[in-house]
Amino acid sequence: MRAKWWVPFAFLAPALLGLLLFRVVPILLSLGGGFTATDLTGETSFAGWSNYAALADDPEFWNSVRVTLVFNMIINPLQVVLAFALALLMARPGPGVGALRTAILLPITVSIALTSVMWNLLLDPGVGPVNGLLRSLGLPAQPFFHSEGQALPSLIAICTWRGVGYWMFFMLGGLGAIPPEVNEAASIDGAGAWRRLWHITLPLMRRSFAFVLIADTAANFLLFAPVYIITTGGPRGSTSLLMFEAYRAAFTLLDNGRSLAISTVILLIIGAVATLELRFFRVDEAA
Amino acid sequence: MKLTRRTALAGLGLGMGFAGAATRARAGGTIKATWNGWPDSQVKPLFDAFNKAHPETAASYELIPFSDLFQTLEVRLGARTAEPDVYSCDSPLSASYGVRKQAMLLNDVLDRGQFSKSCVDAASFRGNMYSAPFSTSSQLLFYNRALFKQAGIEPPETDIARRWTWEQVAEAGRKITDPARNRWGLVIEQAERPYQLLPLGQSLGGTALSDDGLKATGYIDGPAFVEGFTFMQRLYTDWKIAQPGVFDPNVTPDVFGSGRAGMFLGGTFNLGLFRDKYKDLDWGVAPHPYFAKGKPVTPTGSWHIGVNPRTNDKAGVAAFIRFMTSTEPQLEWFKLRPYVPVRLDVWDKLPEVFDTPIWRIIRNEVQTTAVARPSTPGWREYEDLLRQCLRDMQSGGDVKSMLTDTAGKIDRQLLKYRNV
Repeated sequence: MRAKWWVPFAFLAPALLGLLLFRVVPILLSLGGGFTATDLTGETSFAGWSNYAALADDPEFWNSVRVTLVFNMIINPLQVVLAFALALLMARPGPGVGALRTAILLPITVSIALTSVMWNLLLDPGVGPVNGLLRSLGLPAQPFFHSEGQALPSLIAICTWRGVGYWMFFMLGGLGAIPPEVNEAASIDGAGAWRRLWHITLPLMRRSFAFVLIADTAANFLLFAPVYIITTGGPRGSTSLLMFEAYRAAFTLLDNGRSLAISTVILLIIGAVATLELRFFRVDEAA
Repeated sequence: MKLTRRTALAGLGLGMGFAGAATRARAGGTIKATWNGWPDSQVKPLFDAFNKAHPETAASYELIPFSDLFQTLEVRLGARTAEPDVYSCDSPLSASYGVRKQAMLLNDVLDRGQFSKSCVDAASFRGNMYSAPFSTSSQLLFYNRALFKQAGIEPPETDIARRWTWEQVAEAGRKITDPARNRWGLVIEQAERPYQLLPLGQSLGGTALSDDGLKATGYIDGPAFVEGFTFMQRLYTDWKIAQPGVFDPNVTPDVFGSGRAGMFLGGTFNLGLFRDKYKDLDWGVAPHPYFAKGKPVTPTGSWHIGVNPRTNDKAGVAAFIRFMTSTEPQLEWFKLRPYVPVRLDVWDKLPEVFDTPIWRIIRNEVQTTAVARPSTPGWREYEDLLRQCLRDMQSGGDVKSMLTDTAGKIDRQLLKYRNV
């Protein structure tokens, strides 16, 4: 018996409703809100492009854009490559794989807020155990989050520590989907491990790479908690990611229009980068 | 669904039930408070006392951690609903809540004459009172006797006339600090907050903001603040007697309490903490330090009570704030958490407490050296931007250029208040 046309939609309805309420509606509100100004008593009025014009003239905003782009240009490729490398390690059964898998997956179970609190203590310049370890090895203590030069790399490190295991899962799924006979045939033909990786595994992993890169990009452009908890954008704006600037505009500087305009800018950047990434993988697939 | 007589009657009955419940609730009166996250044991007795004294009104509270309180209030008051009816209001934010119509005008609710002048000033903006003084504060220099003895230094005296200078604090701090043993010369309780650090510049004659509360350039980046904050920076970067990155007021008292710091510049509310939690700690107090070439200036101001103008129970909240600021509950509050009293008559109620060396210092500070934070509707923006700057300064950099940069940012934010 053929199901009625609306049955699939009925099953999808709860998820679609959630998507509509918690994704589409806030995005539309944000898009509209970027063109409004809220006065001191909370009354909102149409403000045209003024929020965007103010952003264009604001060096702090441009610093945030720069920091966000640098952060993403480093963290996304780093996480994708590490996730793939770890997936290769995990894909083959061998001694110690169970323990390794636990070690890699454990950070996912820790919330990003708790990760931030924990690493803030671990990397504390004065009392942090990491500096204690460095000192015991005869190395100088490091300022980590308290240094303009080290704060962003430290942020990338802790986010990668937590995120890479999660993305590895998808890579592992992709590796599992490669038919074993393809690799076997290549082995019989005399292809070494490196050639099989380059000519078989990587081309067949394109879809997994595309998904992980795009999803990871979106997640990292929206990163907020570690900046809020650990650095509040400092030292000297060196970790001032756009999401934190949007929060700060709304809750500290009491400027909702600016906050929503920044949110819209983030959305546009994510859209543009994701489109580029998708096109890159599609072109390759067609070739 | 077909609308039958039965469903219509059921719906009507249900509706009447809700309406009845709502009427009963309104007749009884409820007050919901969003309160600073003090320990429940210090909050509950006061609310219980109010509920006992005013059985017609049921007051309840939700405790929000200090670090999240301002954001929480921003969201809740920004929603422009009737809740919360009352809230913990940081005294310098009174003007901000007032001009944004998030705090009810209390000119006719409270008698200003019963409070210390600095408390009324902190609650007011251009002559209008927007919050009810609930507690105020002063700062003391706590010291660890054992660490001073080990370093071979005489600790500071309680005598106000022999108040230590900042230079003496730095010198003693250098002798006490021992990074290898995780021992620090000085811990500043709120080491990134203007509340605690503005007196560094004020002691050297600086003014933190223009008189109209709308201009920072030429004030916070003036020579006095540059010199005062350069001194602060050296505590962290040159002499290394203060631990960088330790800002959280939930943590800093414990650094001193656990014996890891020789001196602690902190609020009077720590008196109870050190007395009760750190029984083995041998500590003393001295007056807040000042610069040798300047004058003593101490921080002041603290928590007030704000009233949401959209409350549904104006009579109930008026009774609530009158109760909370009256003599007996204020005495009870003092016993629960020794904030500096806001009411003048409370100072004479407990001679066994207030006529002691510690409280004689505090009374003197509140009456002679205390300088309130600048009165401006943009305090929130001013504080946040300056706070970030203070944090940054503690990891090095040119103090003057950082302050000038911050003053410019503050001025841009204060523009929106120019027509208030």
